[in-house]
Amino acid sequence: MDTKQKIKDVLVNLLKVKPEELKDDAKLYESIGVDSTEMVETVIALEKAFGAKLSPKEITKFCSINDIEKIIQSKI
Amino acid sequence: MNNKIAITGIGVVAPSGIGKRQFWANIKSGRSFIKKITRFDASKYPSHIAGQIDELEKYSHVSERLLKKIDAFSHMALIASELALQDAGIDIKNEDPNLVGIFLGNAIGGWLYAETELRDMYIEGREGVSPYMASAWFPAAPQGQVSIYYGIKGFSKTIVADRASSLEAIGYANKTLSKGKLNMILAGGMEAPVTPYALLCCNTYGGLSEDNQHPETAYRPFDKNRSGFVIGEGAGIMVLENTARAKKRGANIFAVISGYSSTCDGVNRINPAGDGKQLSRAIKTALAQAETNPQEIDYISLDGLAVDTWDESEACAIKDVFGKDAKNIPASCPKSMFGNLLGASGALDTISTILSMENSLVAPTINLDNPEPTGLNYITKEAKEHKIKKALIISRGRGGINSALVIEKP
Repeated sequence: MDTKQKIKDVLVNLLKVKPEELKDDAKLYESIGVDSTEMVETVIALEKAFGAKLSPKEITKFCSINDIEKIIQSKI
Repeated sequence: MNNKIAITGIGVVAPSGIGKRQFWANIKSGRSFIKKITRFDASKYPSHIAGQIDELEKYSHVSERLLKKIDAFSHMALIASELALQDAGIDIKNEDPNLVGIFLGNAIGGWLYAETELRDMYIEGREGVSPYMASAWFPAAPQGQVSIYYGIKGFSKTIVADRASSLEAIGYANKTLSKGKLNMILAGGMEAPVTPYALLCCNTYGGLSEDNQHPETAYRPFDKNRSGFVIGEGAGIMVLENTARAKKRGANIFAVISGYSSTCDGVNRINPAGDGKQLSRAIKTALAQAETNPQEIDYISLDGLAVDTWDESEACAIKDVFGKDAKNIPASCPKSMFGNLLGASGALDTISTILSMENSLVAPTINLDNPEPTGLNYITKEAKEHKIKKALIISRGRGGINSALVIEKP
């Protein structure tokens, strides 16, 4: 499975959003109205899914899925 | 009348029914909804019976995304709020959000969520804890969730005063509306104590019935063979607004609030004063505010903890206020059917009273076979036809908190 799809799966399972709500190039805040507490949970879930050390300071609600993909690919 | 605060919407989530029709149908028939706890293995607790609500999500429009962030007591408050607003015919979108408030009572917080996360913290460490824990468990969480859900932005409060919390919240809401600070308020309370740790706390506090072999007859307020109270979970939330506004929009006014008062005994951290003098003072002050003589009250909703000191001091206070009329005024404690909802109990008592008033039928106290103390007109076993124009509702909390509310038919 490619990185982007895996990120989307994490978001869908964790936040209970519909897959079609996710947009590759839109900020998570804009596409699914994610809040800062949801982002804390999301970063932890992404760390577990990719086995990488991620920071809530770099993966924020202002990141798009494309942005998150780049950050994760730079660490794995 | 136009200055008084009207109750125009009722939302109830209780073991004996979700929605006022189902709730009323069950309490007027005198059916018990106290059962052995099935949510978790409670068999080792001294008291392991309760009024429990199952399959709450069936009645809910709350998204799965939100549900994972909130405790059951917030979920119950969201459902009760929705039912109350529907009942009142109010769409919050058409209201000025700055002039809508929420006043809710709660005693113990959202322990189902808290316990689960604390367990995870000790097993998995810091990262095993949901970040929503911080905003899910505390007593004001339902107020926050309801305000976010409806975009409510007016002056709001959560009252924590043990079992008197929600009657105090209604009293506070009444006072706020009377000052013209807001257009409408969602007022009431919610409680979800059927969880392992909350049940342990309730057991430690004492006063719970340990008659686990006979759940349906365990809660026996004012009965000679009483053995303590039984907890229940749920929420009761009402729409309160100025009577003039309610009339202008053609709302159905179920009742108006005419008096409220609260006092403290200040004698013991758990028990009330045995003489009931401060409860008596609360009732007298509420009646004076309602410009009502004791003789005009034609129904009393009893607190009825089914613990000797509490029942005796409550009866003492009623006799002090009503004198020889105490033996004539119908009085009952319908929560004997579904459990004591602690911080939400006063709201449920108010709703039961309004429904009794509306149907000219007093919901009974069940399991009351041998009254003790005597001298009150206990309505027992089955509902009794009786027109109610003015009613008194009594709610009391640990450490001697005494609240009294007077409502009347418009």
